Amino acid sequence: MNEHALWLGYQVVGAALVALGIVGFLARRNLIVMFLAVEMMLQGVALSLVGWGRYHGTLDGQVLVLFVLTVAACEAALAMALALMLFQRRGHLDTAACFRLHEPGQEAQLVEEVSPEGELEEPEPEPAWPHLPPAGVEPQRDPEQEAYRSHV
Amino acid sequence: MTTWLLVGTVVLGAVALWLLLPRGRKAGRRIGAVLGAVALGMLLGSLPPLGGWFAQGLFWLLAAVTLGSAACAVSFRNPVYCAVWFGLTLFGTAGLLFFQGAQFLGAATIIIYAGAILVTLLFVLMLANPRGQAAYDRRAWEAPLAATVGVVLLGLFSTGFFSTLKAMPEETPAQAAAEKRQPPGKYPVSALGAELFSRHLVAVEVAGTLLLAALAGAVAVVAQHAQREQQEPRPAAPGQPTRPQRELTVR
Repeated sequence: MNEHALWLGYQVVGAALVALGIVGFLARRNLIVMFLAVEMMLQGVALSLVGWGRYHGTLDGQVLVLFVLTVAACEAALAMALALMLFQRRGHLDTAACFRLHEPGQEAQLVEEVSPEGELEEPEPEPAWPHLPPAGVEPQRDPEQEAYRSHV
Repeated sequence: MTTWLLVGTVVLGAVALWLLLPRGRKAGRRIGAVLGAVALGMLLGSLPPLGGWFAQGLFWLLAAVTLGSAACAVSFRNPVYCAVWFGLTLFGTAGLLFFQGAQFLGAATIIIYAGAILVTLLFVLMLANPRGQAAYDRRAWEAPLAATVGVVLLGLFSTGFFSTLKAMPEETPAQAAAEKRQPPGKYPVSALGAELFSRHLVAVEVAGTLLLAALAGAVAVVAQHAQREQQEPRPAAPGQPTRPQRELTVR
């Protein structure tokens, strides 16, 4: 196999993955999709490192990729916990909300109309689920049980 | 790679990504997909031949799967579809790693990324907003600018790699070393393990500690939030789905 061509192919594919990740990170507004784009960049770097490792005939590139993988796992755990907390506080995952960050007593410093929401395509309608009438006989309720299992 | 081919690839790729990214309209997405496929073909076709039709075909297939699904992952409206396409990207990357002889890393990519990180991501997506109907998923920031930046960067990288290739010696360091000493052995995985637990032993321990710290940190973030919720319960946020009330008629 032509080792130089293999090296070049891995560098170019890795660079393309990094470029696509940058496009996704810059363009998308959903926090989780942005996180996904960052992971994509890490994948591109991993391909590049392994390509260099093969070129030099050592395992250093693979070892480095292994550590990148570890850091990516840590990052995913923390980022997902933070994203979930953010969603529970705000009800959405839009990064445009960060433009309005401010301390409790202060006015928001940077308020701008960041993205016109007009001329959006119509969202797909909700699927029409069949409505099932309740059937059967309601079982006898035990008042004692209702006292400690209120949701039943 | 001639300059004009590179410029053509960059322009085509930028237009394709701009058309593919969510812009609030559906028009032009198919044209974008076709242009993107052409740009991808031009990029892969400009690479020098690997030698051997099987290796060449396998490399092209894996690279096309990886890059095509990566483009889908950054451009789909529904974040769940984005995550699933990213899963395909991971499988393509793992295939490329196997192709390179990095078996352990290929398996680790599938196990750690596709098995753990992607599933965590899907969990959070399912807890958050599974339908992709939100306005912020249907409109990107500055799509033309972002696409141009990314693709121009790719063009610059490729130019750098091609000019590096011209300056490289006839024989790679790996080939030069293989003539002098024994090749690294029959089992690359055991070689990697020996390397990892001899030269990089301290780094492995530090990585383990980092994982532990991240685990504790994630738990702390969630626990702090839960404590605050208990002290001052908030009303449900507007976008949050409410649990449907169960109805039972009493006869």
